[in-house]
Amino acid sequence: MDAVEKANADRQKRWAKDQKIGEGTYAVVYRGRELATGRKVAIKKIKVGQFKDGLDMSAIREVKYLRELKHQNVIELLDVFSSKKNLNLVLEFLDTDLELVIRDRSLVFLPADIKSWMAMTFRGLEFCHRNFILHRDLKPNNLLIAANGHLKLADFGLARDFADPGYKMTCQVITRWYRPPELLFGCRYYSTAVDIWSVGCIFAELMLRIPYLPGESDMDQLKTIFRALGTPTEEDWPGHTKLPDYVPVGQFQKTPFRDLFSAASPECLNLLSKCLIYEPRRRISAREALYHPYFTSHPHPTHPSKLPKPADKTSATLPLEELDGNAEPNGNGPGVKANPPNKLKRKLSSDELSGGGRSIARKLDFTQQRQTVQ
Amino acid sequence: MSRPPSGNWLRGTVIRKGGSSVGNTRTSTPQIQSTSSTVFGGGVKDASGRVSEYSSMDDTCPVCKSDRYLNPKLRLLVSACYHKMCESCIDRLFTLGPAPCPICGKILRKLAFTPQTFEDLGVEKEVAIRRRIAKEFNKRREDFADLHSYNDYLEMVEDITFNLINDIDIPDTEARIAAYRRENAALIELNVQREEQYQKYLKEQEEAERQEREQIALELRRLEEEEREERAKERREIIDKLETSDKDAAKLVARSRADALRRAHARSSSSTVANARLQRSRTAQSAVVADVPHVPLQDDWYTYEDKFVLRDDYDDPASEAVRRDRDGIMRAGGYRVEEAWERALRSAVAGLEIMPLQGLSNEDSAHPNG
Repeated sequence: MDAVEKANADRQKRWAKDQKIGEGTYAVVYRGRELATGRKVAIKKIKVGQFKDGLDMSAIREVKYLRELKHQNVIELLDVFSSKKNLNLVLEFLDTDLELVIRDRSLVFLPADIKSWMAMTFRGLEFCHRNFILHRDLKPNNLLIAANGHLKLADFGLARDFADPGYKMTCQVITRWYRPPELLFGCRYYSTAVDIWSVGCIFAELMLRIPYLPGESDMDQLKTIFRALGTPTEEDWPGHTKLPDYVPVGQFQKTPFRDLFSAASPECLNLLSKCLIYEPRRRISAREALYHPYFTSHPHPTHPSKLPKPADKTSATLPLEELDGNAEPNGNGPGVKANPPNKLKRKLSSDELSGGGRSIARKLDFTQQRQTVQ
Repeated sequence: MSRPPSGNWLRGTVIRKGGSSVGNTRTSTPQIQSTSSTVFGGGVKDASGRVSEYSSMDDTCPVCKSDRYLNPKLRLLVSACYHKMCESCIDRLFTLGPAPCPICGKILRKLAFTPQTFEDLGVEKEVAIRRRIAKEFNKRREDFADLHSYNDYLEMVEDITFNLINDIDIPDTEARIAAYRRENAALIELNVQREEQYQKYLKEQEEAERQEREQIALELRRLEEEEREERAKERREIIDKLETSDKDAAKLVARSRADALRRAHARSSSSTVANARLQRSRTAQSAVVADVPHVPLQDDWYTYEDKFVLRDDYDDPASEAVRRDRDGIMRAGGYRVEEAWERALRSAVAGLEIMPLQGLSNEDSAHPNG
């Protein structure tokens, strides 16, 4: 036991923890750096104490799968160590995420930009699927963007490997707006196609700049999907009426993609429609998607370093609200836009200095039991 | 250049289009001008792509002698032989097909008439000829070994142009042009493409600038809005404070003013800094890196051959459930037992080629609960 503790201490010494930058349901994220090189990292401290039966499931999943995956478009887990009662994951530090980019109205996307992000998403996802890992929580704010513009899949808290035959999987995964219909119908046996649906939704969101299928509840989500893509027939999707939670939600006509995405190229719509096919087996796979003509047609994907990025908030000088207390409560610095309200999910964004992010963190401190920070 | 008009154009054999005015009589209003006014294209375009047309108050059609007084809508067009005539004359003379020019006798077609841009038709002609020449004689300095040969080439181009403009040795000059075209077909094509690319580049540049301007304008509007709100708030504040506190009114007002000034200052400086940075980064980046073509799989995983072949079926008791799935629940969810088989096989053979490690590293200490 002593040797293990010593090894752990050695590891711990390599990293320094700086200020807190975000807090999620089961973890606190700190900005940190590698002492030897000064390289910026994010340290995710898993709260262990509050779970009776050991570690939180998502922490285990995250460690389990990130240890195996190393790819340009997947977040890198650099190290794992424990401090006192907590488990710490040392992750690559990434500046921002795709959601912030989409919400930032001051940014203009070119078709080539969208193509570049999609290519990187599919590359990362293909790598996961190739290694038999389902991500199961793809959405814009889990697609983090590095300083050099590279997009990386992150948050493997819901990931799992492919099930053995006859082994049930839970259908309560994937954020609702990005959840495929087979999961909404309670299907317990599914495959990589669930991630592709999410990517399709993200693809549409990149073009629309608003969520494509924003359902208000699980029921409403199905309605929203059918309203957009038409109610599936037995021909479109054989066997879907036999799924455990199947309920008829009414007949809707498909709205042609062309009407909604009027500026998109034909290849682009073709790929989008293949990502959003009802029958999971016919849905395009990540690998097929990479060979889709959309990616090879003109224009070329934008070079990652040229992709639009939200303005750097950390360097903007703080407004003088701390001098007199009567500044508006949500006083972000001038030029700072689109700070998504109460995102409780972990986010490695650089908004630690903006008032919005901080007030949320403070609020949460009261509800969560305090951990000893060392 | 301009012979006196002969009488034969007045023969009454041509069929008039309905409504086209003859012009030498005062017809009753309204006059319908040519029905073909939209057909006449060409002319010299200005920077914005519009064709500016020359017209003057003393325009007179040399053919029918109609003028602006008789026909306020008189529009003169220029023929390929650089003679002017009015639209109604053109309609009258050339509707039935190619016909001789009433002034010089050259065979003309209706579609070959263009709007006049310059007052002097000599200039009009020169511009047209130079444009035609530039399309084919488009070699650049880079295409020549030395400056001397480039100058010779320019000299030759100028000679040809001069001959065409002044109608000297036309057949000979045309032959020279044709010979040049034959010899340099590939180069001409190449230079045309280069030119197109340059135009495209310019257009993109323009577009980028326009977007930038829009963004700045937007930012400015936002700032203005903010400032207005700020001022309104400030006024309210002062009034509130004056109401609630019993301090000296003048002092309170002065302090609030100072605060506001400081706030405004901070705001403006920070936003301009951010703005400048944003612009700089966008423009600097776009100049340096080129976009990359998509490479489907950027690693070498698939360069290895699989050491196994997946069979259609296996004697696998664990997948009984899938096979017994009569309702197709698993199928409807997209589950494939083949994937599980593939995974098992791949895991089984994946390490076959890797040499055993020499000595163990202490990697296993990563287990958190160890």
